[in-house]
Amino acid sequence: MLDTLVFATVLLPFLVAAVLLVLREQNVRKVILVATAGVLILSSLAMLRGGAFILSPAPLYDSLVTLGDFVILFVVLFVGFKRKNQIIIWLTVAQILGLIWLDFFMVQDHGATPAFFADDLSLVMVLIVSIVGSLIAVYGIGYMKEHEEHLHLTKSKQPQFFFFIVLFLGAMNGLVLANNLLWMYFFWECTTLCSFMLIGHDNTEIARKNAERALWMNVLGGTAFLFGLIILQKVAGTLSLADILARGPEFAVAGGAILIPMFLLVFAGMTKAAQAPFQSWLTGAMVAPTPVSALLHSSTMVKAGVYIIVRLAPIYAGTYLSNFIALFGAFVFLATAALAAGQSNGKKVLAYSTISNLALIIACAGINTPAAITAAILLILFHAISKALLFLCVGAIEQKIGSRDIEDMRGLYARMPRTAIITIIGVMTMMLPPFGMLMAKWMAIESAQGQFLVMIMLALGSGLTVLFWCRWAGILLISPFGKPQPETQACSVRLPLVILAALAVLVSLASPFVYNGLVAPVVAMYYKAAAYTTSYGNFDSGTGVFIIYPLFILLGLGFYYAVRQAKRVTAAQIAAPYMCGEQQSVDGKPGFLGPLGQHVAAASGSYYLEQFFGENVLTKWINVVALAVLVIMLFGGAL
Amino acid sequence: MTKIIIAILALVLAPIAGALISGVDRRVTAWLQSRYGPPILQPFYDVLKLLGKEPMVTNTWQALCAYVYVVGAALSVVLLFTGSDLLLIFFVLTVGAVFLVMGALASPSPYSQIGGQRELLQMLAYEPLLILVFAAIAMVTGSFKVSAVFELSRPMLYDIPLMFIVLGYALTIKLRKSPFDISACHHAHQELVRGVYTEYSGPYLAMIEIAHWYEVILVLGLCGLFWSTSVVGMIVLVVLTYLAEIIVDNVTARLTWRWMLKSAVGMGVVLTIINMLWLYAQ
Repeated sequence: MLDTLVFATVLLPFLVAAVLLVLREQNVRKVILVATAGVLILSSLAMLRGGAFILSPAPLYDSLVTLGDFVILFVVLFVGFKRKNQIIIWLTVAQILGLIWLDFFMVQDHGATPAFFADDLSLVMVLIVSIVGSLIAVYGIGYMKEHEEHLHLTKSKQPQFFFFIVLFLGAMNGLVLANNLLWMYFFWECTTLCSFMLIGHDNTEIARKNAERALWMNVLGGTAFLFGLIILQKVAGTLSLADILARGPEFAVAGGAILIPMFLLVFAGMTKAAQAPFQSWLTGAMVAPTPVSALLHSSTMVKAGVYIIVRLAPIYAGTYLSNFIALFGAFVFLATAALAAGQSNGKKVLAYSTISNLALIIACAGINTPAAITAAILLILFHAISKALLFLCVGAIEQKIGSRDIEDMRGLYARMPRTAIITIIGVMTMMLPPFGMLMAKWMAIESAQGQFLVMIMLALGSGLTVLFWCRWAGILLISPFGKPQPETQACSVRLPLVILAALAVLVSLASPFVYNGLVAPVVAMYYKAAAYTTSYGNFDSGTGVFIIYPLFILLGLGFYYAVRQAKRVTAAQIAAPYMCGEQQSVDGKPGFLGPLGQHVAAASGSYYLEQFFGENVLTKWINVVALAVLVIMLFGGAL
Repeated sequence: MTKIIIAILALVLAPIAGALISGVDRRVTAWLQSRYGPPILQPFYDVLKLLGKEPMVTNTWQALCAYVYVVGAALSVVLLFTGSDLLLIFFVLTVGAVFLVMGALASPSPYSQIGGQRELLQMLAYEPLLILVFAAIAMVTGSFKVSAVFELSRPMLYDIPLMFIVLGYALTIKLRKSPFDISACHHAHQELVRGVYTEYSGPYLAMIEIAHWYEVILVLGLCGLFWSTSVVGMIVLVVLTYLAEIIVDNVTARLTWRWMLKSAVGMGVVLTIINMLWLYAQ
């Protein structure tokens, strides 16, 4: 049974991807995609029911993984030569040599380390990848059809597109289930390659350029990963994740040497999670079709980066490295929230807010208390759902109105009522209580107590978060009274939106159960005390209490009452907006009666505070500071 | 059970107290400006009159937002008086604030739009300050729970005096007092009419007034926490603080939002760092 489930979540996507690559029949592709999504979702749920496990597949697969490693590295090397990118070439050559050394000279008995192991953290990740990722893949059916119509392609590139999307899901599942770190390295490189191919999918000049940048940054991370493994093998004598985690306390006593491979692995995680100074690859990745952005930002790629950092947290707990990771995370959280506040491009706001939230997760891993780790895991979960939802919304909006700029979404409710409401729900679940994202942020801030530099940066960053979300949600609403236009949308686009919006609300509602069932066991493995007790559905700890159900009920009742009051408003009670002067509406659009009787349309825009938060103002400094923190982190032990 | 009674009492008494404070505020302000001023009950008369008016809005979202604003503000007061978590109180308060802005942004009126944008900047200025104040309180008490404050043996003001100034900053912004009455001022008609409030009228404006009363009580309640050891001390501290607010309101002119952001955030962070270092040193 277990074999089957691991097969279904990891290997099956590889096989399905291969089928999709050669298949050119559109309707069969649809059926296969939906069926695969169904299988992935069901098997991830079944795997969750089964609970923790350790699994060693046949020795044949070990050789296949080794072979796969070299195939990927040579493909990357080929890309490096084709693009004449020295960084990619040299880093890949270093990886090939390092891997030969590690695989054939250092690791003696390849079969001895079980390939897979799962605890609740892995299972949560598999759920996220399989459910959110599958929904995005299904959304891709409707999206790509329209996308290619816009591009007027003579030959559809969808087989290639879905090949990499489905492959990506398999690789991600493999990554989070891997116990043998060599296997994890293989899946890690798989995701790098998939993201490179998907970012460059449209094959425009800018897409190629951004894909190349994503590749060299991730190859840098991959190199750090591999050399981390080499040193780890030397220091610890094993590449089994479960073993290393079990020996965490022992390492903590020994100190010193283990922190170098830990730093390298955490650094690899930071590049993959697009932390400053590597944020540009993720913001550049927006040139790709929307399902790709959604996938990269929510359930794959960047989550792999924070997964490894959270995963290793117990090993570096209580060290200087942990403190620096907390500082680094808090700084990037603040810095990228500021960058998000300065953007009017919707996708860019989402991109920077992703980086910001990931940085918060990293800060939590660095704070490294039971409460902080709880916050980190909940953030991974809730962020995946809400961010996937928001990206898919922006994609749907962009295809309809031809722009991803927030200012062009003014009054979207009148044109796309359903999508506008779903977008607003998505935004609310990102920033307001009693939803899960905010609850996790509450845990993060409370656990930062006592590290006041971290605390100050979290406080400032969280103020900025409210600014950019609230601004966006507000201007979607501008609309005249009356029934908005009905909205048409492909079923494969609408369903994932509705399901994700429902998940965002319902999973928040179930957060005490999610905590007790999935998060508390993970924390219990690493730390003696649990972070929170949940009585009557309230999260209670010595230092604070977060009330869920009374709050959900009271806010819900208040909201319901407000909706009823709003519904009572009749056409007779509608006034024209206040214009302070001679008012004149043309086509229902308000404006002023100007000189010589001309109509002057009323226009307004939002503050984006570019003199404070513009990319060209901040990016340079953010990169300098982030790089400085990273360098100090590396050499901090010597100080 | 006592918590439920306290909750109901807070729900009923807070707006009444808030309205009375606004009434006194107007009288004191009038006295400072050598006017006679309205009766102390005037805020009640205003709101009762507004409640009786025909509801008018530019679109239905505003009605929704006005009500959610009240719910958020009232709930945060209830949480404060039942001794809940400071950060949670703050986040619930944010719900109301966010919906107030969304309602303002839902109207195409330029005044309402500018008001909404400025209100967001005000939130950006006071929110980090409040979180920092709460963090400092948690450092003193070891917990974010309001109830923990009342277990202290001496007033917090001795330990975190600078944080009280930071709270004062946040208070001035939150109470819409000069020099930070940037988004919704009575006195800036030519500049922005009434900013975020421009499009709210009749019963909806009444809702917003009531929500504001709740908020006044909430922020004054937070001030009171700094002298938690005696009721008299709390009252004296709150009265003095509010008087100081009124005087500042009357002797200062409105600043620009750039000034507000720089001074509030800059001052807040510097004072926090000094106060925290001092706490560590102790």
